[in-house]
Amino acid sequence: MALSTEELKNAIEEKATTSPKPQLYIKDFYACDPDSKPRVIKNVANEMVREGRLMFWSSGSTTMYGIPSRIQDEEVSE
Amino acid sequence: MAKHETPLLDQLESGPWPSFVTDLKRQAEKKPECWDILGVLELSYKDRITHWKHGGIVGVFGYGGGIVGRYVDLPKQFPGVEHFHTIRVAQPSSKYYSTSNLRQLMDLWEKHGSGMTNFHGSTGDIILLGTRTENLEPFFWDLTHDMEQDLGGSGSNLRTPANCVGQSRCEWSCYDTEEACYHLTMHYQDEIHRPAFPYKFKFKFSGCPNDCVAAIARSDVSVIGTWRDEIRIDQAAVKEYVAGNYPPNGGAHAGKDWGPFDLQKEVIDICPTECMWMEGDELKIDDTECTRCMHCINVMPRALRPGADQGASICVGAKAPILDGAQFSTLIVPFMKVSKDNEFEELIEFIETIWDWWMEVGKNRERVGETMQRVGLPTFLQVMGIDPIPQHVKEPRSNPYVFWKEEEVPGGFERDVVEFRAKHAA
Repeated sequence: MALSTEELKNAIEEKATTSPKPQLYIKDFYACDPDSKPRVIKNVANEMVREGRLMFWSSGSTTMYGIPSRIQDEEVSE
Repeated sequence: MAKHETPLLDQLESGPWPSFVTDLKRQAEKKPECWDILGVLELSYKDRITHWKHGGIVGVFGYGGGIVGRYVDLPKQFPGVEHFHTIRVAQPSSKYYSTSNLRQLMDLWEKHGSGMTNFHGSTGDIILLGTRTENLEPFFWDLTHDMEQDLGGSGSNLRTPANCVGQSRCEWSCYDTEEACYHLTMHYQDEIHRPAFPYKFKFKFSGCPNDCVAAIARSDVSVIGTWRDEIRIDQAAVKEYVAGNYPPNGGAHAGKDWGPFDLQKEVIDICPTECMWMEGDELKIDDTECTRCMHCINVMPRALRPGADQGASICVGAKAPILDGAQFSTLIVPFMKVSKDNEFEELIEFIETIWDWWMEVGKNRERVGETMQRVGLPTFLQVMGIDPIPQHVKEPRSNPYVFWKEEEVPGGFERDVVEFRAKHAA
């Protein structure tokens, strides 16, 4: 049975916090709940960005997600 | 007064053609940061390496696309381009502009950015080159509130859909490309403004097989107008072309004397499927053999027109050369009615079937055309619920890897071969 939205958010946050990589593709979150459709996971991840729990990092051609405190900000790393 | 010496770039101004270096120098008189664009580019020419850093976390609130972070890796040397973000603005449908709109947009960009632009990016957007992070939100506010325009797509989003001029100006357009593009743009606002996919995804809408937005070369879903009845022939106009009374090609290529128009040599003999011939002074076409190359219609637009039963062919999987080589999109649906009467329902269902599959099966940074190539066309057709048809075959016997499932074989894999051979000799 698919996780509730809040359970899914927590699982995504856990994954983004513990992953060795600070920035993850949306597909990296699919394993957080194999019973949820990719589109559901995408919508929840994007909602978490609006809430400030995740942040986008984009190369321009691809977009990744990360925990705000872990993600590399070019403007502060210089 | 130039801030940096640019002897290498200066060579680019020496030819007879317009030079972006000259443009940048002119712009630098108003926007001093443009000197640093020249400086960093000159250095890159010397070092043979880019000094731009690619990507970042910049954006505007609520959006996950439309802004591409750009930074220079030598900010102390080139402070004017320490931040030099790109903004993608959705282009108007068919790229129709009014001068007042362009002036307003340029004033806005002079106010918030470098003033440098690229009309247009390969997806079709207006590309505004170079601004600082703190200018993004004020620019976005003015763009959306004062001009009622929006950002385009970037990253793993649906990219800004693009279309040809369609029925607004072109008699060959087989469906209303502007309506289709506008409808799908509004329908998929979330996918355009927030990431959704393993990688970028593009739609393009061309009204006829001339494909003026290069849908077949650039878009993951190419919607290309076509017809399924006969090319409409005006035999009286054919005679006028033959008599030299109508200029071929609508008068294009008229700068040189090509001699009198020769219908046989210039049209019939170079028809790729050899499906045209003359019977007396009447032009005949075997429409069942026509592959919609558009050459005859382009040459004799007053005599030939697309058929009246119009719709679109749907091709899937084009891309530019990034990981693999470039590839054209593959024909999947030879004919689909594309109409706002049913709110493009059939097309939307087709697109979402692809998305549901690709979001699950596609690898990170894999375009849908590459996913199709990896799993093979038969598997893709199964996913789409489409039966194979001859139009799916590029050429006979080019791909021997056709796999049958047991349920597709009469008698299954365990059938009696002796009994089969009694009816079908080896």
